[in-house]
Amino acid sequence: MEQQQNNNSENILSLANTLRWDLGVDLHDAVIESIYEDASRIARKTVQSTGEKATYNFERKIDQLVTSRWLGFPIMFLLLALVFWITVAGANVPSGMLASLLLDTVHPALKGFAANIGLPWWLSGVLIDGAYLSMAWVIAVMLPPMAIFFPLFTLLEDLGYLPRVAFNMDSLFRKAGAHGKQALSMSMGFGCNAAGVIATRVIDSPRERLIAIITNNFSLCNGRWPTQILIATIFIGGAVPSYWAGLVSAGAVVGIAVLGIGFSLAVSWGLSRSVLKGEASTFSLELPPYRPPRILQTLYTSLIDRTIFVLWRAIVFAIPAGVVIWLVANIHIGGESLAEHFIDWTNPVALLFGLNGVIILAYIIAIPANEIVIPTILMLTVVSAGMAGVGHGAGVMFELDSISATENILRAGGWTLLTGVNLMLFSLLHNPCSTTIYTIYKETNSVKWTLVSTFLPIVLGLVICFFVTQLWMLLA
Amino acid sequence: MLMVVNPGMALLVGTLGMVAAAGVFWPKKGLLALLSKGRLNTQRVLLEDALKFLFDCEYKNIPCYLNSIAGSLHISADNATRLLDRLRTMGLIHLQEDTFRLTDAGRSYALRIIRVHRIWERYLADETGIGEMDWHGQADFKEHQMTLEDADQLAAQMGNPVFDPHGDPIPSSQGELPAYTGQPLSALEEGAIARIVHIEDEPATIYAQIVALGLYPGMQVYVMDKTEDRIQFAANGEECVLTPFFATNITVKKLPAREPIQKKPDLLSSLKIGESAAVKGISPTCRGQQRRRLMDLGMVPGTIITAAFRSASGDPVAYQLLGTTIAIRKSQADHIFIERSEEKL
Repeated sequence: MEQQQNNNSENILSLANTLRWDLGVDLHDAVIESIYEDASRIARKTVQSTGEKATYNFERKIDQLVTSRWLGFPIMFLLLALVFWITVAGANVPSGMLASLLLDTVHPALKGFAANIGLPWWLSGVLIDGAYLSMAWVIAVMLPPMAIFFPLFTLLEDLGYLPRVAFNMDSLFRKAGAHGKQALSMSMGFGCNAAGVIATRVIDSPRERLIAIITNNFSLCNGRWPTQILIATIFIGGAVPSYWAGLVSAGAVVGIAVLGIGFSLAVSWGLSRSVLKGEASTFSLELPPYRPPRILQTLYTSLIDRTIFVLWRAIVFAIPAGVVIWLVANIHIGGESLAEHFIDWTNPVALLFGLNGVIILAYIIAIPANEIVIPTILMLTVVSAGMAGVGHGAGVMFELDSISATENILRAGGWTLLTGVNLMLFSLLHNPCSTTIYTIYKETNSVKWTLVSTFLPIVLGLVICFFVTQLWMLLA
Repeated sequence: MLMVVNPGMALLVGTLGMVAAAGVFWPKKGLLALLSKGRLNTQRVLLEDALKFLFDCEYKNIPCYLNSIAGSLHISADNATRLLDRLRTMGLIHLQEDTFRLTDAGRSYALRIIRVHRIWERYLADETGIGEMDWHGQADFKEHQMTLEDADQLAAQMGNPVFDPHGDPIPSSQGELPAYTGQPLSALEEGAIARIVHIEDEPATIYAQIVALGLYPGMQVYVMDKTEDRIQFAANGEECVLTPFFATNITVKKLPAREPIQKKPDLLSSLKIGESAAVKGISPTCRGQQRRRLMDLGMVPGTIITAAFRSASGDPVAYQLLGTTIAIRKSQADHIFIERSEEKL
């Protein structure tokens, strides 16, 4: 009896298989078509629509304006420039306030408290000069611009404008083998690469999303703009007559940002034609109707989902990195600190790339945030050059208010115009910060693509710096 | 210490280093790619390829001789003799009169290889962005590496497909295959109507030319003219000319003559801004995720679609359908067939 049943079910299965061959190749299409047919028949019977023509026509008018041949791009550039300007201008004041509170008030107070309760110097060094200072620095420089940039960006998104940007930019990105929505994750990357990587979720095609993730680091993020501006002012502005200095150094910074966009497109092109050739690719872009933005909700979600989320990840990485930064400057072997050993050891190689050991070490230990690279460089330069009376001691990051004082330290550390140019290039083309790397891993769930996104920019940066340096030396 | 390096020398070494790195990592032609290819067990590959070829002959009722085997495997007749001897001692083939026949064991072995090959082709076509010219080559490589269990699992993930992208049936896991029913396009008479059921992907040069003509399985063809050295036919309203030799690579199934002849349909990309039309279908050359996405958005026969506005750079174009606005690129709109109706929609 059971035997017979088994036989029966096997017969049925094999008959079903045979019948599927007779059905032909487009069975799936037929199923989807019939579903739509049923749905539309039901909708025709039950749904009535009235009075939507007016809003519809009004929306089309806006669409025709923002996607028009002549006005589309200028409107886009103006809006994005406005967002960046509000961010930069608006973040200065709260950043200064946070810095004076966390760095100039709480930090000395903590140190004083530690001295009072008799904490050993090394413990207060590791905890307060290392972990606390690094965390406080990250908060002070990251929080205000993000808290301004992300809500503004989310407002544009909520309004329905951002999909039109992707729509307008698509033909440029298509030529690079990428998706128009990469314009959005790229713009977001100018605020923060980690947020930019998260923003690639809107790209639904697997290949284009990977491309957008890997190339997001080429958007010069908020943490790198101050470095670019500082170095350009000192070295590039300093190399031309003073009445040109402002214009030329500003031009150099914008040039680096544009170079970043160029690299982003070029690397997208290369990736889509080599390692990512086989990944599946689709394109479709929904253009939602325009909506009045829900301001409060936008503020809330962008603060919680983006700002706090990214900041939290940065803090988690900043604390151990602060400990490492303090330790390398304070653990001595054979009379020299670990930092000095490393700097002496890497200097000859780094000089080939027009950089120096300090820069290499700073980029390794300041991996949690690009914002703390310059303070780390200054601290390490003072430590390795043995300058007395500058800064706050070994392992304590610092920044100077005066640009000329900063210049004096860097020039004393052996920096030249070439070092400045290479630092600017390397700041654009190096590994993403640890927050971004972790975010890439979370988003792709793949060690392979995380490693590619980490090391591809470093290799590119070293190659570019090498050729720039050697050509410079050949011609100079 | 300051190391002094001659910049000219450094540039030379740097450039050479870049060239060397390119030589190692270049896709397909680099050292790494060649090394991974070389690791394949060539003896087993030959053996399995021979079984596949023998099965194909049996399936299409073509007698199979020593020379044809040697030719298809690109080996000398001596090597082919040795290979066939080995297959015979393994009990996979036997000699019947002067042609080679598969034993039951050999047939089931061959079917296993073919199943893995066709499932992998289906996978490449549906789930990846690899171009159709590369499917066969990659599947030829994969069929010797993938186990049947892995292939079964992959097939289950894709909803157990029964056809490969060339229109060939995929053998079931029990080794069943439907009977061969097609005939070569070259055998059709003038005036005959047929549907393409299969396009042979070997040799690659002929396949490339057929693909370039835009032919694909499922297409309707109508033979307009046939002479000794050429066959002229209409495929979806487009005129094509092939030599009879090339046409043997296309397998067709004859249709009853009363079935209507398809006209060449209009493409969505030809729709002007403000114009409306009904979707007629998506070209079978648009596959996998791409096709699913378009259908999910409502690009199914009967849907009314309106070209709404154009992007600032001209491409993509936003279309209005089912109450939403969706932008797609011209390259996709070229794959969507529409039907303009006379009366106002």
